[in-house]
Amino acid sequence: MKSGRPHAPLTPWVFLAPYLAGFTLFFAWPLVRSLVLATEQTYGPKVTVYVGLLNFRSILGDPMFWTAVGNTALFTACSLLVQVPVALGLALLLNRPDIRGRRFFRLAFFSPSIVGLAFVAIIFGLLLEKRTGLVNTSLHTLLPAWDPDFPWRENYVMISLVGSTLWLSAGFYMVYFLAALQNVPRELLDAASIDGAGSWQRFRHVTLPEIRPVLNIIVLLVITGSFQLFELPYVLYNDTYGSGPENRALTVVTYLYRTGFHSGDLGYASAIGWVLTLFLVGFALVHRHLTRREET
Amino acid sequence: MLRFQSFGLVLVTVLAAVSTTLVLLQPVEPQDGLQYWTFDRSHAQVASAAAANWNPRHPDLPVRVTTLTGPTLLTRMLSGFYSDTPVGDMIEVERGQIGQVFAGPVQDIGFVDLTDRIDRDGLRAAINAPSLSPWSLHGRNYGLPHDVHPTMLLYRSDLVEAAGIDVRQIETWDDYFRVMRPLFRDHDGDGRPDTYLLNTSPTNMGAHEVMLLQAGGGMFDAAGQPVLNSEINVRTVARMVVWMAGPNRMTADAPVSGPSAIKLAGEGYMLAFLAPDWFAGAIKKELPNLAGKLKFMPLPAWERGGRRTSVLGGTMVGITKACRQPDEAWAFIKHLYFAPETARRLYATFCIVSPIKSNWSLACYDEPDPYFSGQPVGRLFLNLAGDVPERIPSPFYASATTVLSAAIVGSCRHVDRHGITDPAAVEPEVRRRLDAAQAELLGIMQRNVFVAGRAP
Repeated sequence: MKSGRPHAPLTPWVFLAPYLAGFTLFFAWPLVRSLVLATEQTYGPKVTVYVGLLNFRSILGDPMFWTAVGNTALFTACSLLVQVPVALGLALLLNRPDIRGRRFFRLAFFSPSIVGLAFVAIIFGLLLEKRTGLVNTSLHTLLPAWDPDFPWRENYVMISLVGSTLWLSAGFYMVYFLAALQNVPRELLDAASIDGAGSWQRFRHVTLPEIRPVLNIIVLLVITGSFQLFELPYVLYNDTYGSGPENRALTVVTYLYRTGFHSGDLGYASAIGWVLTLFLVGFALVHRHLTRREET
Repeated sequence: MLRFQSFGLVLVTVLAAVSTTLVLLQPVEPQDGLQYWTFDRSHAQVASAAAANWNPRHPDLPVRVTTLTGPTLLTRMLSGFYSDTPVGDMIEVERGQIGQVFAGPVQDIGFVDLTDRIDRDGLRAAINAPSLSPWSLHGRNYGLPHDVHPTMLLYRSDLVEAAGIDVRQIETWDDYFRVMRPLFRDHDGDGRPDTYLLNTSPTNMGAHEVMLLQAGGGMFDAAGQPVLNSEINVRTVARMVVWMAGPNRMTADAPVSGPSAIKLAGEGYMLAFLAPDWFAGAIKKELPNLAGKLKFMPLPAWERGGRRTSVLGGTMVGITKACRQPDEAWAFIKHLYFAPETARRLYATFCIVSPIKSNWSLACYDEPDPYFSGQPVGRLFLNLAGDVPERIPSPFYASATTVLSAAIVGSCRHVDRHGITDPAAVEPEVRRRLDAAQAELLGIMQRNVFVAGRAP
């Protein structure tokens, strides 16, 4: 039905104005400023000089930056290979109507995602402590040969980081998968069963294609989220400013933070931020291209 | 015109107008007087007590004490220095953060240069000289020291004395590990030690810095240039890593507060701690169950006749350039930091000894402390105050810490892999790693066109 009254051309802009003001002030303007800053070097509060692309050239030859990229990429790969299957497995399990108390378990698995990474880092810092940490004391009780001083945080940096984020993220992504699984048409699954498909075949040929759009989104979220990892290593390895032993916990964003806010090199930190942004945008475009091709 | 107005548009406009008006009508706290910012509640208690004494005599310019968390204070302070946002008139800064304040040309430092005031008022001789060093750049002083933080060895006297060990025979670290060796024991027969001789580990950078400073090493020289691969650092790290790794490992890391610390300390997991004065105050509060079981001794030296103390942590107060009444602010911080009452409070509450020499005669420092088996703890720390090593601030402190830590952890891994027990055998590897750390740090510093002298 058509309204009898025409809308003023100004009306949508009035509605949009609060958002646009916030977007310009807190996103667009800082974005432009950070691009300008990436071409400058600062030293102290007042001194700035234009250096063109020097910061970007320095990044290419900076071994610490590449160490951070390597660690972040490894963390991303591990997260992808662990978080996504675990989240999907939990969702499949808790989607079964015959599981008793599944609502409770859904809430229980989801609840860690409410607390945030800084809190997770504090909890896992305690859990992974030598001698008194729950992980080592439990293992030592179950297996007396287990060393109660086993150095999880010190020698198994990536396992510690991936394990901590798994606790937080698995339940979060599980909710996405659950929503997708509940939209898989029951009749398709029944038809496949009648045709003699086993549970693996039903999953492989019916469920997976149906939930693929959600899976693609989750892959994108895991990768972009992992490349922005900061709070967890920063808190878990605060004695080395988030770098961990031999820089094995150093991520791109931790390096950005350290460079900008500990060394005061704001231009270089901005350039690191832009390199990360360009990489993530590039990745998102490739991902979008691949998923579109898949859909067509 | 009115016929174009929808209900939604009117509603949004009214809501925007009402909320804007409400925000604008919010009362703004009057920022009268002098603002004193600190990051620590206990420091704030002492400053508030001094302000309570000061304010009735200065009703036109009272001091307001504000406590901010460490990161918040740092962010707001740097924002003030970088962007001229409102900032306190007097700010307490922790040692780990001062490097960022000193980045850039000296004329741009956000704190007032106090050198001439200190000399004009004849205060230089009154302050423990090494305690000024972390707050000074190129011979100019930008803050008054809040503390000295001399470091001693806090050991489990009950275990040591029960084993019949006399600590007076210990002069060097080699003596310490040799004499205490019988206490490095496996109590439950599981093949693993249950008492370690010292609380440190490959990743404990605080402890490493204490050790390096004590030995005469450190991260930067007086000119602010990195010296990570100095000969003294190489020799010291080589000796440290064979304590922390390999078949002769005799140290382990335990938290110094919280439930784990209480459990481990109760079990005697650690025989000794590197303990500055503030640690004495903290452990009394955290671990009351160890009363009468702990004693202090000077740190064992690296060589016979060497330095028997070091330093860990520290705070200064400075006057910001934004302060409109720097003379009054100067009068207040002198009143606060130099007053015997402040020294008494700091010691009674936190075991922190004063850097002001005239306060060293206070009777409280000589009182036996039952928690530390009757030792006059204040006097023991003050006896070492003049020998505390100087520390050089640098904007590249965090980077130096990180690359140095990586070198030490890597050396420990080398010791573990090759089963090394002799410091001389690990020295070439330590040298190689410290050379690499030095090159990496220089690379970070040289990247900055101002530091490298390439700025146009």
